[in-house]
Amino acid sequence: METTFRKRTSKATVKVVPRPETLNKELMLGGIIQGLAVTMRHFFQNVAREKPEVTINYPEERLKYPLRNRGLHRLMHREDDSVRCVACMCCPTACPAHCITIVAEETGNGNEKRPAIFEIDELRCIVCGLCVEACPCDAIRMDTGEHMHVVDRRDDAILGKVDLMKRGISSTAVQGGEPNWQERVKTVPDPRFR
Amino acid sequence: MAETPNPAPAQSTVTLKIDGQSVTVPKGTNVLEAARSLGVSISFFCYHPGLSSPAVCRQCLVEVKGQPKPVPSCYTPCADNMDVLTQSEKALTVRQQMLEFTLVNHPVDCPICDKAGECTLQKLYVEWDSAHARMDYEKVHKPKKVDLGPTIVLDAERCILCTRCIRVCDEVAHDHQLEMSYRGDRETISVAPGKQLDNPYSLNTVDVCPVGALTAKDFRFQMRAWELMTTSSVCAGCATGCNDEIHHARGEIYRLVPRENQDVNKFWMCDDGRMTYHEIRQNRVAGARVQGETVPLDKALSFAADRIVALRGSSGSSGLLGVVANAQATNEDNYLLLKVASALGVDRVYLAGRPARPDCADDILRHADMNPNTAGARAIAQALMPGKAKGVPQLAADLEGGALKALWILGDHVDLDEEAQAALARLEVCIYQTPHQNFLSDKVNVLLPAAAWAEVDGTFTNAKGLVQRIRRAVEPPGEARPHRELIQLLGRKLGIALDYPNVRMLFKEMKQAVPEFAAAEYGRELPVVQLRFAGSRG
Repeated sequence: METTFRKRTSKATVKVVPRPETLNKELMLGGIIQGLAVTMRHFFQNVAREKPEVTINYPEERLKYPLRNRGLHRLMHREDDSVRCVACMCCPTACPAHCITIVAEETGNGNEKRPAIFEIDELRCIVCGLCVEACPCDAIRMDTGEHMHVVDRRDDAILGKVDLMKRGISSTAVQGGEPNWQERVKTVPDPRFR
Repeated sequence: MAETPNPAPAQSTVTLKIDGQSVTVPKGTNVLEAARSLGVSISFFCYHPGLSSPAVCRQCLVEVKGQPKPVPSCYTPCADNMDVLTQSEKALTVRQQMLEFTLVNHPVDCPICDKAGECTLQKLYVEWDSAHARMDYEKVHKPKKVDLGPTIVLDAERCILCTRCIRVCDEVAHDHQLEMSYRGDRETISVAPGKQLDNPYSLNTVDVCPVGALTAKDFRFQMRAWELMTTSSVCAGCATGCNDEIHHARGEIYRLVPRENQDVNKFWMCDDGRMTYHEIRQNRVAGARVQGETVPLDKALSFAADRIVALRGSSGSSGLLGVVANAQATNEDNYLLLKVASALGVDRVYLAGRPARPDCADDILRHADMNPNTAGARAIAQALMPGKAKGVPQLAADLEGGALKALWILGDHVDLDEEAQAALARLEVCIYQTPHQNFLSDKVNVLLPAAAWAEVDGTFTNAKGLVQRIRRAVEPPGEARPHRELIQLLGRKLGIALDYPNVRMLFKEMKQAVPEFAAAEYGRELPVVQLRFAGSRG
């Protein structure tokens, strides 16, 4: 067999740092009392209703998520309800968790390319949103506000093209930008977008 | 092959200055090549070192002192005392303007373009200015999918009309199959009347295309270029031994593309050779089999060794054993097999391989011999067992005549007829090391899984006698191992000490034993390069 072992060049060892030990720390009694004091303070404050409760009764009560919250993915539609994605593979390239699998195929109509298979392993997804950033045609979004579903088997967490498109709607974004975007962008007050 | 337009006469050089650096080049060299030899980069689209220069793209314009207008460096021969400025403000401005001009009608659909990641236009645009288009008229629209032939699709919109593909057909394949039609911004590449792009070198047009206009149907939409890893190797399709790059990702091979070697294939490769990657992963033998039953590799080896030892005890030292070397296997595999054979005292050696196909041969690259290593296998057999190596007809005759009781076959292609196959099935032991299942794999009683050529390190010797390095690109499936490892394992069971921890050691020993290889060098280990870092190939 062609197995070679690289010689170890550095001798890495564990450095032991001595810490000054006090009696209080050795006994751990002070820490316990301090911790219990915090717990009891919150307990009595809750009982006395001095402050609003810090917990909510999920799932009956739900917090309002901010607009930019990233939930489950969805795939957007064209006007004729076909998939917007052109299988450019920018999202699997950008994905740091390698959770997106795309197999491209020819459409046969005017649009050149589309995904034959588009799968996202939601268990692998780290919800970073880089796929949305990378998408050049507003095909993938994470704005559903939905949480990851409870699954019994790992395979069930892999969402296919049909599942992803079920949540999608028709996107009105214009491919290549609005016709007069160069003029309109001059009116944007933020200099970063000029 | 395309010859350089003006072959330089011997001992005639010119000295010129490029960006202040003095350089001496053979007479007839163009300024672009002279600049490249200095490491000065000049952008270009239509020029290709293996083709003639029509100077149509004007992307390589440089300033020459004393000349009123910038000149195309690919078309301007070097002259004595020439003073060339490639990075002056005028030269840079004019090249940038040419790039903007080229982009006027280019659709810039990089996300769906297969060339993205290895595109010259994309690379130049990103490196140079990345500016927004100043053109606000609608671009000229052309057909997005034109079927040029059985292998290639043209996207006329992306084409920048550099005419490289036309010149590849004319100068490499010697068949005028492509030409320009229409004029001005309607100008487009099309097939010549009554023809289609079907010459045996057609896929070279895809390689030379600096944009994504020409795409191979075989590779179209299969994989993005930036995901691919490249391993330098040699094509195993015929005895020419074209140098190639194996492009693979995540253990699968996606395409083979030519690699420059002026002694063998220059810049080109034939279409049949490119398609050989398909069969690497087809019909593979992934586990050892003894008499049709799948067993662990070690058990199969023990079975074979026991049978051979028993035969040697009963019917003389050679045990009526024959070995079949194969022109499909590497030099190292054949050498090791014949070394074991001579240690065992075997004197029946045969040389197998794919049958020759003279109909596929031409005087450009393709060779009638469909084996990559015929010359090497012959040289090794001649050196280790002089005069003993016979062909496949003799093997068939010996099998049918009952002169053999045991056979050890390397490689997958052994061209035996029905009767010889029936005789093969009657042998006491027949060891068949093969990557692929074929008509022989059911007839033999010991089937060993071997690695295919893209899964091993080693050397091939081409028809010219050049010893060329092949490199491992992907892992073999299942229990499959390189031939040389299987031979070592079986050899050890037969009591022959073989210890070659790597191929290089085996090569060194072989170099001493085989006179033809005395001057050969075992190639360097090259790191696997990701294509996105290798720059554009266009």
